[in-house]
Amino acid sequence: MSSSILETKGLCKAFGGLTAVDKVDLSVETGKITSIIGPNGAGKTTLFNLIAGVYAPSSGEISFQGESLGHAPPHKRAALGIARTFQNVLLFDNMTALENVMTGQHPRSRYGFFEAALRLPKAHHEEETISLKAKQYLNLVGLGMYADRNPLSLPLGQQKLLTIARALATEPKLLLLDEPGAGLNALEKQGLSELIRRIREMGITTILVEHDMDLVMGIAEWVIVLDSGQKIAEGTASQIQKNKKVIAAYLGDEEAIE
Amino acid sequence: MLARLKARGAYLAIAPLLVLVVLAPFDWFLGDYTTLLIFMGIHTMVTVGLCLLMGYTGQVSLGQAAFYGLGAYGSAILTTKYDVNPWLAMVSAAAITGAFAYIVGYLIFRLKGNYLAMATLGLGLVIVILFEQLDGLTNGVRGITGIPRLSIGDFVFDTAFRRYFLVWFFCLATLLLAQNMVRSRTGRALRAIHGSEAAAESIGVNSAQFKVKIFVLGAVFASLAGSLYAHNVFYVSPGRFGFLFSVMLVVMAVIGGLASIWGAIFGTAVVRLLSDKLLIELGGWDMIIYGLILIAVMIFVPQGLFVGLRDTYERWRLRRTRRGAVT
Amino acid sequence: MSLDLIVQSVISGLSQGSVYALVGLGFTIVFTVTGIINFAQGEFVMLGGMLSWVFFRLYGVPQVPALILAVMVATVVGALLYLLAIRSARKASVVSLIIITIGASILIRGIVSEIWREDFVRNGTDVVRPPYFTGENPLHFLGASIEPQRLWIVGTTIFVAIALHLFFSYTMVGKALRASSVNRVGASLSGINPRTMALIAFAMAAALGAIGGIVVAPQNTTYVEAGLMLGLNGFVAAAIGGFRSQLLTVAGGIGLGILEQFAIRVDWGPLSSGYADAIGLVVLVLVLLVRSGKLAAQERAS
Repeated sequence: MSSSILETKGLCKAFGGLTAVDKVDLSVETGKITSIIGPNGAGKTTLFNLIAGVYAPSSGEISFQGESLGHAPPHKRAALGIARTFQNVLLFDNMTALENVMTGQHPRSRYGFFEAALRLPKAHHEEETISLKAKQYLNLVGLGMYADRNPLSLPLGQQKLLTIARALATEPKLLLLDEPGAGLNALEKQGLSELIRRIREMGITTILVEHDMDLVMGIAEWVIVLDSGQKIAEGTASQIQKNKKVIAAYLGDEEAIE
Repeated sequence: MLARLKARGAYLAIAPLLVLVVLAPFDWFLGDYTTLLIFMGIHTMVTVGLCLLMGYTGQVSLGQAAFYGLGAYGSAILTTKYDVNPWLAMVSAAAITGAFAYIVGYLIFRLKGNYLAMATLGLGLVIVILFEQLDGLTNGVRGITGIPRLSIGDFVFDTAFRRYFLVWFFCLATLLLAQNMVRSRTGRALRAIHGSEAAAESIGVNSAQFKVKIFVLGAVFASLAGSLYAHNVFYVSPGRFGFLFSVMLVVMAVIGGLASIWGAIFGTAVVRLLSDKLLIELGGWDMIIYGLILIAVMIFVPQGLFVGLRDTYERWRLRRTRRGAVT
Repeated sequence: MSLDLIVQSVISGLSQGSVYALVGLGFTIVFTVTGIINFAQGEFVMLGGMLSWVFFRLYGVPQVPALILAVMVATVVGALLYLLAIRSARKASVVSLIIITIGASILIRGIVSEIWREDFVRNGTDVVRPPYFTGENPLHFLGASIEPQRLWIVGTTIFVAIALHLFFSYTMVGKALRASSVNRVGASLSGINPRTMALIAFAMAAALGAIGGIVVAPQNTTYVEAGLMLGLNGFVAAAIGGFRSQLLTVAGGIGLGILEQFAIRVDWGPLSSGYADAIGLVVLVLVLLVRSGKLAAQERAS
């Protein structure tokens, strides 16, 4: 039983002539909060999308809980237990906030068209469970009172929390957060940090790609640093802060040091 | 709270519709229009499938007439040439049509691209060719006559009055099934795909598969409608199932509203009345009017006319209640 | 299968396929620049042929000016289609745009049908044949007879294909169009106005279709509904080219044309020649099969 929930071996991704991810080997420990950082253009987003299944690797392998993910598309990965959020939110504006979270229960529910069309008891029973669980996740992120609201009527910070609730509703073992702190104010970032810690207590492993150093240093138990598609360092937050290679990489990118 | 009120409001809207449906064929009410109303019911079944398809997959099918024709011919051939029980024939035709739609849908929806419109156009043309060429089976251009009436035991659906209720029973059942589906987990998945396909995929929704399912559903509805058509007119010929009818169905769906279920009745009614009462000739004017409707509705009310009207009404009602609260 | 049947099929197929190639190019150009599948593409072919007959036969315009006028009018219609219908649909979803072009295609058909309704009635049918370019006496070659109009069709298509290549490679506008088709945002950031590009794309596609129309109508006759099959087959040609490669589109169109001609002349088992019209769809299905397989493979490889 390995203690790493996610591993990549020799992972590469090239777009035409540009190599975005260059032979990256990494290992994410189960239950820990891991952060992937790096200057702009380091390949963080590409790596993220490779893990999420949006891109297929040019070469190399990703394995989840010991099994290779191969070319599993995103919807299969969600069923396996990998959930993700999006940098540009992507909430469903054609349903309420609660329904958004209920959709997250899709891979954990079973009833299909026939049961729904004929309103069989199985459908009704599962709907109750879905609704209940969704409410719980909504409360977990602190949005319980907005259950019936249209998600677009919520401020950005709360929209992002809603997407986390939706991702949590898939009952994942691994949660991928794509720049969750972007666009949030200091108070909202604090709330986010607490939420991520609570998620950790639930036994879910979290990987976050993030630019905000304070946020990262505050909650990450392990930090992986990328630059120009390659992994240049990894360690605890304090180790990374003192790492010369990391500092050098960031000196070329002033905004991140702020 | 708001959701529950909205649901009750929806039921209130349906009540008068139901009353209308029940009273319509009586001579003292709309009896003269019974045949028109029968066709409205049959076509609504096809339209609702198309509304769902366009609303949730973002692609257009120009071949619903083909599935309708498959249902009609399927019932006609099985009942006249092979003496199959009409109900069984209807179900069989629907199953075959569904399987066929599954193959087409599978090929098309795995691709990122808008192939459905053209592919279904081609499909529609080919199926009409098949109806004309497979002389031994379909009687070619002469068509098939002598299609039996539907019956349950000793009760035969022969008069227009009885057939009307049969058709509308099926129509309303179809709409209710569709409604139940949309309110369920499947419907949520479909709405998720409509909202953001990438996000839907991220929560485990296989969008391609769902699109295929909706396409098959629409085809099955169309096939059932076609069978009902056969058992109402007692004659089928290739001419009725061509491109023009497919276009008419798209117009019905556009007026009814993309992703709308009950709007399908509205859209079908409008086009049926237009074509039967105003545009008597099958000349260029049909094309001109339908073309203008399609363009105008998509420019000004892209969610579909009925849906657009309903949303405007909702907004007006909200504004009134807010104003009332202030005073 | 005799030699002259093969030669006949190939020759007829070349000329038929050339028209499909032109229509396919129209689809491809509009799609690469705007991302829209213009359902009305086939109608421009019909307009070209129909208008050349109308101008020549009904309004007494001499032949050559009639041809030029027909193409010009069709081009204007294409531009109007973009300006009035497509540009007005702001933030339109893909569904809306498809429906708009479908509406446009039947609108054009309806208008043509109505404006000259009495003329069609007087003519006895709406199937019309504009005059041949250089007469109709067939030439003989390898046991097959070649109508001179077919040479015009193929020749025009070759000329157009070369002209397009030069246009896209060497003119500012052409290069701007290519830039827009590769990367719309990048192109607009470089100062290229995407709406102007879209307008040019639509106008070009209409012109291409109309040129195909004026050159094929004398050979095949034309009628109001002609745009449907032509559009479908042109679409198949464009699909073979993946809506990207002009070369493959032309090759696909010609291949389809030749295949169709064989299907018309040869009864293949239980399928009589009446099924020839269905060839386009069969090829489309094959293309879809191949492409969906290729797409999956591409994702694995990339």
